[in-house]
Amino acid sequence: MREKLIEIKNVSYSYYTDGEEEATASPALSDINLDIFKGEFVAVLGHNGSGKSTLAKLCNAIFEPSTGTVTVDGITSDSEENGDAIRRKVGMVFQNPDNQIVATIVEDDVAFGPENLGVDPAEIRRRVDSALKDVNMYDMRDREPHNLSGGQKQRVAIAGVIAMQTECIVLDEPTAMLDPMGRAEVMNTIKRMNKEMGITVILVTHFMEEAVQADRVIVMDSGRIIADDTPSNIFSDIEMLKAHSLSVPEPTELCLRLGIKETVLDTDSCVRAISSYLGGDMT
Amino acid sequence: MNPFLEIKNVSYSYMKNTAQQVNAVNNVSLGIDRGEMVGIIGHTGSGKSTLVSLFNGLLKPSLGTVYVDGKDIWENKETLRESRFNVGLCFQYPEYQLFEETVRKDIAFGPKNMKLDDAEIERRVLRAAELAGVKPKHLDVSPFDISGGEKRRAAIAGVMAMEPDMLVLDEPAAGLDPRGRSDLIEMIKQYRERTGSAVVLVSHSMEDIARATERVIVINNGEIALDGSVDYVFAHEEELKSMGLNIPEVTKVFHRLKELGFDVPPDVYSVDRAVDILTSLAERRKSDGK
Repeated sequence: MREKLIEIKNVSYSYYTDGEEEATASPALSDINLDIFKGEFVAVLGHNGSGKSTLAKLCNAIFEPSTGTVTVDGITSDSEENGDAIRRKVGMVFQNPDNQIVATIVEDDVAFGPENLGVDPAEIRRRVDSALKDVNMYDMRDREPHNLSGGQKQRVAIAGVIAMQTECIVLDEPTAMLDPMGRAEVMNTIKRMNKEMGITVILVTHFMEEAVQADRVIVMDSGRIIADDTPSNIFSDIEMLKAHSLSVPEPTELCLRLGIKETVLDTDSCVRAISSYLGGDMT
Repeated sequence: MNPFLEIKNVSYSYMKNTAQQVNAVNNVSLGIDRGEMVGIIGHTGSGKSTLVSLFNGLLKPSLGTVYVDGKDIWENKETLRESRFNVGLCFQYPEYQLFEETVRKDIAFGPKNMKLDDAEIERRVLRAAELAGVKPKHLDVSPFDISGGEKRRAAIAGVMAMEPDMLVLDEPAAGLDPRGRSDLIEMIKQYRERTGSAVVLVSHSMEDIARATERVIVINNGEIALDGSVDYVFAHEEELKSMGLNIPEVTKVFHRLKELGFDVPPDVYSVDRAVDILTSLAERRKSDGK
């Protein structure tokens, strides 16, 4: 049976400024119910301001819900102590690579998390080396982070989370500032972490091509979950996605508009589907 | 006639004459005409942001000359000042640079620096706000009280208000959702059509470059690797890949179909056009009995 890792129950969340009553602030999240299972790769989509980053920050107890409960592996995020315990289980990677690197040498940066957890130095050494190998940055372990590309910096940030041996990693638009190669590097790393290391992944993204690579896609709008399904079901509904300011990957849209029944999610299957649409290949 | 912006044998090095010297731009020459719509692509660290910072003297070339409107911008203080107003540069995440009490004051910052009179400043603020899609009701609110996408437009309006002959935008759509991204790119196309200003768009999105620009310059290792029409540049799929870049997904599909022997053109950049071509090809093949 699938084991629940994160359980979000009747959760609402409001940002409110000093002097403003909590009740009058418009909620960023309204009555969310969501379970994330161990080993899943979940993508979260939604336009700017839809509440997806707020949801991400509730998953590792950066925020506590205004109402409702968030439980991670049996721990409820309702106290400082529990928050610390949750952050040992759920790590986070943010959008801007320059805002999350703290050390002046790559391997020191990766060691920062486990050091804070009070891990034994020999064990830190072992974890740092293995995490850097996991993200293919071991050869650059003694570099200065500011000399790395954006994709390399994001992989260092991911290694920092791996070295903390969290069960789950939440990534909030980790590729928004990267070039195409940097994006591919980060996506490959995320998929490897999920498939080979069994780490649960929650990926918040604006790139539909990234969401199609997940096992499950959640669509948010106005602080609510609009859809929660497999990528092929989600991306076969262009109208729903467009109504929420989203889009479908180009190959998917092309096949749908040609009336091809099967939902294609990548370039290769798109080419195959169009070949048969045109009446078989030419060879 | 000389191009509006002309760069002759320009090089730029960071940490010059030290062991860490990095040659970010290497002996680059290029010209951009008035009214041109140019895309610049290149991987992170390729030198494209350094290159555009040389366009209006934010960086001084280590070697070579930059001409704006026929004048060497480094000739004296006055030519340098003029180039700042003639070439408007808008950096990535420009909303982080908003600082005034109101959106109106923020947009007015550039024109004020140009020592224009109040009536002219007001005219420019309203025009730029309209061009950039800043809502009139937002002009008198704090830039910190509007949404991220609205802040982005307010910041871009601030550059447009200088009414430059060339507007350079570095990743203007980064971090926006798909609708926000396509709306912003559409706004930039409209801006160029309405003002006749040259626009240089730096982007990691091959789809945006293909959709919005007419000429594409590819920067790799501080040099110009390719420079030509959208069709010319995106025909070089393998070279682009070797430089850490890509071509639009729908274009990739058409290249593959062509390789399989189907009679399709290579220069397809939008799903709309792709649907038209494939539907009529399917009909043709059916009536040919294939």
